[in-house]
Amino acid sequence: MSFDPKAATKIPPKKVTFRIKRFNPEEDREWWEDYEVETYRGMTVLDALLKIKEEIDHTIVMRYSCRMGVCGSCGMTINGMPRLACQTQVAEVASDGKPVVTVEPLKNHPVMRDLLTDFTKFFDKHRRVKPYLLRKDVDERETGDYEYEMLPEEHYNIYEYTLCIACGLCYSACPVVASTDRFLGPQALAYVWRYVADPRDEAWKERLEMIDTDEGPFSCHYAASCSAVCPKMVDPGAAIQRLRSALIKYRLGLYKKKRISKKVGPMEEKKPRKDLPPEAKPVDGVDPWAKDQEPVKIPVEKLI
Amino acid sequence: MALKGKENKPGWIASINPWVLRIVNNPERLAFVLHRITGVLMALIIMAHIYVTGIPAHTGWEAWIEEIQNAHGITPVTLYFFFFAGIAWFHGLNGIRLLLVEFLGLCIGEPEKPKPPYIAPSLKGCQRKLLYLVFALWAILWILTGYILFVA
Ligand code: SF4
Ligand code: FES
Repeated sequence: MSFDPKAATKIPPKKVTFRIKRFNPEEDREWWEDYEVETYRGMTVLDALLKIKEEIDHTIVMRYSCRMGVCGSCGMTINGMPRLACQTQVAEVASDGKPVVTVEPLKNHPVMRDLLTDFTKFFDKHRRVKPYLLRKDVDERETGDYEYEMLPEEHYNIYEYTLCIACGLCYSACPVVASTDRFLGPQALAYVWRYVADPRDEAWKERLEMIDTDEGPFSCHYAASCSAVCPKMVDPGAAIQRLRSALIKYRLGLYKKKRISKKVGPMEEKKPRKDLPPEAKPVDGVDPWAKDQEPVKIPVEKLI
Repeated sequence: MALKGKENKPGWIASINPWVLRIVNNPERLAFVLHRITGVLMALIIMAHIYVTGIPAHTGWEAWIEEIQNAHGITPVTLYFFFFAGIAWFHGLNGIRLLLVEFLGLCIGEPEKPKPPYIAPSLKGCQRKLLYLVFALWAILWILTGYILFVA
């Protein structure tokens, strides 16, 4: 998502009306409610919602946690665009000419109550694509003595996809997800590409074959809304196109993964450094690098 | 009591309604909407075309050929050609862009480290220029078609 870098320097209108779409599942009733909030410079939409919850109406339901764009739980449709409420400044979405901000739950996710949406389907799809490294030798993967080699440029290739915080904004903006439940969605498919391109993953063939259905990249029509709303610049739209062309080449027998990295190790045993200041020195009798150790109770006097 | 959530899917008709979601910096979505609409219209027009061109097979070709050859100025036939040209130019030009981007994976940029103003690589550079080129060529070719049909 492109952020307005000047938003933080802007001063929002003194009073902003927040028009919130409410939903009550017991009565199956849906309605819009207006709240007027006094704003301050730097106020985010989440701050405003919390102010409404604290001071005007305690019954509003929403989900949030970190308040700093990391946990991905505060996705909402703000002025018609899926955004993270904690990363959207009021000054960015309200102006003196139109001091109104509409807040709706994310589309394409079922609404539980007010702004709270149910991510079960979204995470089911995420799980279905096996979002973890797969190696033929399971033991090698499970015993943590080794690490898989990876060159900086290989890391750079997948780095942007690893930034996904599973906020579901891309899923909510996707017009294909809006029309069919079967499509895996931009987030899950970006994960598939992330592992197909990852040199440490060995299951690229299985992954490509798994998504060669109408759930996969061939259902994408490249509206690119996913890339336009992603708050972490993950670019799922491009990942799907890469996946699609890789799949076509694979079916023509022209695609082969560039490199599958080997394990390196065992890792050198790390010894505590000698030049540490006394307060940072490990406590006697505790080996910080030992595996499977029981939690050790350290006497308080040893710590201070 | 377990509460059931409300389905919140706009559906495919709504997904081509630009007021359902107003996403900034996303002309690709406009292209997607136009591509769908022109695709459906082309399918309908082709069916009508097959039907209409089937008529002179029974009634004789001479009158038909004469009508087509004399079609200039604003008549129902030239208006039909004009709108069909607009639809077909867009669908064709945008189709070429989609083939490059979707099937060959070209023009979507290289992965990069996020930096302000945080615009995804596929939404700037080559792909975006290609999209603007499609819109520009579409306008030029459509105007040119109109000129040939109505003026020349
Ligand atoms: S790809 Fe972006 S928008 Fe989609 S879930 Fe991940 S962080 Fe959110
Ligand atoms: S509250 Fe964590 S991302 Fe907004």
